[in-house]
Amino acid sequence: MLEVKKVSKIYEGNVAYRALTDIDLTIAAGEFVGIMGPSGSGKTTLLNLIATVDVPTTGSIRIDNKDTGKLDKNELAVFRRRELGFVFQDFNLLNTLTVEENIVLPLTLDGIRVSEMKHKAREIAGKLGISAIMKKRTYEISGGQAQRTAIARAMIHSPKLLLADEPTGNLDSKAARDVMDLLETLNREQSATMMLVTHDAVAASYCHRVVFIKDGRFYTEIYCGDNRQSFFQKIIDTLSLLGGYSHDIPPVRIP
Amino acid sequence: MTFRQFAFRNVTRNMRLYTAYFLSSMFTVMVFFTFSIFAYHPVLSGDNIQSSAALALSVSKWVIYVFSFFFVLYSMSAFLQSRKREFGLMMMHGMTVRQLRRMIFLENMIVGSGATLSGIGLGVIFAKGILLAGENVLALNEPLQFYFPFKAIVLTLISFLLLFVLISLFISTVLRSGKLITLIHSNRQPKPEPKASLLLSLLVVTLLGISYFLSLRASGLSVVLLLAPVVIMVSIGTYLLFTQLSVYLIRKLKACEQLFWRRTNMLLLSDLAYRMKDNARSFFLVAIISTVSFSAIGALYGFQSMINGALTQKNPYLFTYQSLDGDSKAQAHIQLIDESLGRAGIAAEKTGLELNYYKAMEGSRTLVLVKQSEYNHVAELLGLNPIRLTAGKAAVVDFGLSREGEEMLNQPVELQSGIVIEADQAIVSWAVRGVSGYYVVPDEWIGKLGQPLKVSRYYAWHGAVGQPGAEKAGAKLTNELPYDEQYTFYALEYLTSKTNDGFGPVMFIGFFVGIVFFVSAGSFLYFRLYSDLDEDKQKFRAISKLGLSDKELRRILNRQLSLLFFAPIVVALIHGAVALTALSHMFQYSIFRESLLVLGLFFVIQVIYFFIVRLFYTRQIRSALAG
Repeated sequence: MLEVKKVSKIYEGNVAYRALTDIDLTIAAGEFVGIMGPSGSGKTTLLNLIATVDVPTTGSIRIDNKDTGKLDKNELAVFRRRELGFVFQDFNLLNTLTVEENIVLPLTLDGIRVSEMKHKAREIAGKLGISAIMKKRTYEISGGQAQRTAIARAMIHSPKLLLADEPTGNLDSKAARDVMDLLETLNREQSATMMLVTHDAVAASYCHRVVFIKDGRFYTEIYCGDNRQSFFQKIIDTLSLLGGYSHDIPPVRIP
Repeated sequence: MTFRQFAFRNVTRNMRLYTAYFLSSMFTVMVFFTFSIFAYHPVLSGDNIQSSAALALSVSKWVIYVFSFFFVLYSMSAFLQSRKREFGLMMMHGMTVRQLRRMIFLENMIVGSGATLSGIGLGVIFAKGILLAGENVLALNEPLQFYFPFKAIVLTLISFLLLFVLISLFISTVLRSGKLITLIHSNRQPKPEPKASLLLSLLVVTLLGISYFLSLRASGLSVVLLLAPVVIMVSIGTYLLFTQLSVYLIRKLKACEQLFWRRTNMLLLSDLAYRMKDNARSFFLVAIISTVSFSAIGALYGFQSMINGALTQKNPYLFTYQSLDGDSKAQAHIQLIDESLGRAGIAAEKTGLELNYYKAMEGSRTLVLVKQSEYNHVAELLGLNPIRLTAGKAAVVDFGLSREGEEMLNQPVELQSGIVIEADQAIVSWAVRGVSGYYVVPDEWIGKLGQPLKVSRYYAWHGAVGQPGAEKAGAKLTNELPYDEQYTFYALEYLTSKTNDGFGPVMFIGFFVGIVFFVSAGSFLYFRLYSDLDEDKQKFRAISKLGLSDKELRRILNRQLSLLFFAPIVVALIHGAVALTALSHMFQYSIFRESLLVLGLFFVIQVIYFFIVRLFYTRQIRSALAG
């Protein structure tokens, strides 16, 4: 599904900065993968490269057997709106639109019929439990509701790959758990492929597999297995090895 | 939600961003439309004297059009700058560049056609009132009937829709989307401070200093010659003032930690420096546009009061008649004037003097000499200071604008009779209307000089201004004594009222054009403020966590907004004051009261605007802190 091959990213500037070095990553269809690492390790850079927002300095990225580096600007735009879905830490909803309008935005850009958009929006809102707030504006809803709206927007066109950048970063623990439950359900029921960048070990423990990167290089990866509790513990252990400082780990406990 | 609805909602739900731009575009359209209503009015468009007013209206209508072209262009590109992040987000969700262009085009057209239609709508609603007002202001003899201004509507509609279509097309095609990643992070990247060089900062002081010096020192017609270089120097100077000198000063202030680290100074100054690049451009535009509007309105108002004042107060001859040599009808004409005045019941005292022409020894120059006693008699009647001559010297006298006499000062001229005349004082006096550069000499000189080349008799009727029938009698006499090389006749009240009539349209047009400029300057300020709102909210939310009392918040906001609202306006006021002072020097007529009134009025409007905006802005920030 997703193949990242020997990808490096160097930021040119007054001081050239090497953000990623020779990253290889393969994600199978239907898989739910987490990316973890200390601050500045290159997680978000990797996500941006996969999201086609940024281009790698060397290496190639193939999504669904399409080399994203070979697409031109317009093809990329169409590719993004049909094949990719995005969830951000700060939601990035458009303030001028209502919840419903935000959700159907990718379909609007694709010129889908209004009746079909309505139908799809109703369906996904039902699944995510936001049917009641469809007519509200973005400043009238809570953070958890905003993130669910963003997920609905990312999922409405059934993308091949859903990319999430710290989706729980701005949420309280209850809302964070709801959002992660939701993502897991969507992954299971719609067999959507997902990639999640996070600091939060609890959020990461919902994944099938967690890849750790450090200083822009692949560090290790661990698999979930059967028990999420023990997976969470393994993540914590790896993080403490990785960072070397205990206070790098967010002070959360599994409830 | 279709794509078109999407664009529509982007505009209608973002109305706060577009309010000022929309209102000032609407106002511009309305003024354009109003001018067209007059220009196409059947009474005005006929082939008569009043068609000159219609022509003036047409011309200034297109001036407004050209100005609004630049105004719309600048505003639209500024809006796009502020929405970069939003565009990045949309592109991330798969908006193609083509779609982005289409969206921007649609949005601009929605705002533009909205402004055009509502401007015309308001114009039509007020059309009757405007026509009534126009009747008085334009000083028309025939009433302006209400007519349905079909032609004006079509013209305004087509012109402005075309303007908006062209600019929207242009803006959306030249739009460079740039890299997606920079778009998304665009609001996090601080813009670099403009470089400040000491040399350029000093250049500001030099340029503005020279311009002010030249403007204030200039007198007479040299003001006109200096106009172009001074305008260029002031424009460059103002631009550098905001881009260089202000940055330089802020840097210096920041370097002084005693001051910079004191209480809220740090927040204010660092914020200023951070936004200097954006601010500099807006400040410059606002300052220049306001200067133009202040000077234009001030000058027009000054002119009008000067024409009235100069004519009626400083030159209170009801009638003057000057016979040039060889005018055989002089006696008959004088009699005619006397009779007419008597018949109209106008009380006036007749006085007069003789202008004696003598040839100089060398060259073909002719000198005009007036007896001291005759001059002083006329001056006394007018309440002017009599001339006291130094022994053996003469005085030169100028009338109005011309400064011929000043150039003749201290230059001895030998006349053909061998007597040398030299003036040691130059006087500006209204005593003899329409004659400049004549010598006032002791009475006995005239006898010594022998037969003059020619003698011109000057008669003046002096009396109270505003006597009933004076204007009518003047009109009648002007008709009976048409222009001729042999004599000149001048009827004050008739000509004053004619000049005023001619001035009505100019005042009317100038006032509206000035207001259009001022309103658009206000729109720039509003936009500047609004684009900083989100950043400010974030900033104050962060600071309030550190502990910021309500009073301190208000103080910071107050200073920040005052600077934004008053820095460019104060510069414009100073520019305007200098321009108006230069103007008053040019005409030797003080328009201090008029300047003060106009500039003061603009300042008061700005203060009111400031208070309203501050109220809303502070409320916005506070609610962000509470929420």
